[in-house]
Amino acid sequence: MTTILIMFAGVLVGATVFPQNLKKWNSRLQLGMTALLIFTMGVSLGSRPGFLEELGAIGLKSLIFALLPILFSVALVYPLSKRFLERPEEGEEGGED
Amino acid sequence: MVWLALGCLLGGVLCGLLFFPPEVTAFFVGNSEWFLWGLMFLVGISVGLSKGVFAKVKSYGFRVLLLPLSITAASAAAGLFCAPLTGLDLGESVAIASGMGWYSLTGILLTGLAGAEVGAIGFLGNLLREMFSFLVIPWIAAHLNHYTAIAPAGATSEDTTLAVLIRCTREEIVVLAVFNGVLCSAAVPVLIRFFYGVL
Repeated sequence: MTTILIMFAGVLVGATVFPQNLKKWNSRLQLGMTALLIFTMGVSLGSRPGFLEELGAIGLKSLIFALLPILFSVALVYPLSKRFLERPEEGEEGGED
Repeated sequence: MVWLALGCLLGGVLCGLLFFPPEVTAFFVGNSEWFLWGLMFLVGISVGLSKGVFAKVKSYGFRVLLLPLSITAASAAAGLFCAPLTGLDLGESVAIASGMGWYSLTGILLTGLAGAEVGAIGFLGNLLREMFSFLVIPWIAAHLNHYTAIAPAGATSEDTTLAVLIRCTREEIVVLAVFNGVLCSAAVPVLIRFFYGVL
């Protein structure tokens, strides 16, 4: 809930007082924070006591539980979004990267 | 973006495992929530700078429910297929898959319901889902479509993976991702208890 409220505060700042010409810097800062956050998650994972042993014991099962839900979700959402969500002008698409 | 995410993730794991003394690890882990909050504030600014984004999202009407409903259904269905592959009970398997990336809650809930090993698989499986989401979202956004980029993220599309979503999609999708994440997160504890109890 706190996360959503903080994001909402950002929306208000962006919609009212944030200068449009600093948009690029905001984007660069986001990239830096994203990198920091993913790095921190890696640190958190690597520093778990018995991480390697745990990975060896239940790693394969955990991998299956990570990959199959991702595959199924993508396989269902893609055709449904093509049919019901994409607008005609979205020819599509492709992000920044 | 994929290489950045992969590099940061592997670098972090190696540092946590081999190089960082406990106090440095504690600094990163203890402040991770602040990093997330800082990022969400910046993401909010991007959404606020984008004029008319809420009107666009409003124009979807009931179709905004399509993403959370289909991601939830697909995740639970995947659990049915995970059961024979992993040797876990059907109820345990579908409950783990219904965690939709919310690893901390899934791990805690399933440890209480089904014991330490299932709890650990629930934790690690959903943690890996979040990690892989960081890696596959850029590819999906570039090669499939922006809506589908929300699919791997599941319940995490309202916080951690939102960071990658805003890099690879557009502001309108970010608002849909937050909506999806809130609904999926609300469903996770209910689904885990339900599937574990019923199946």
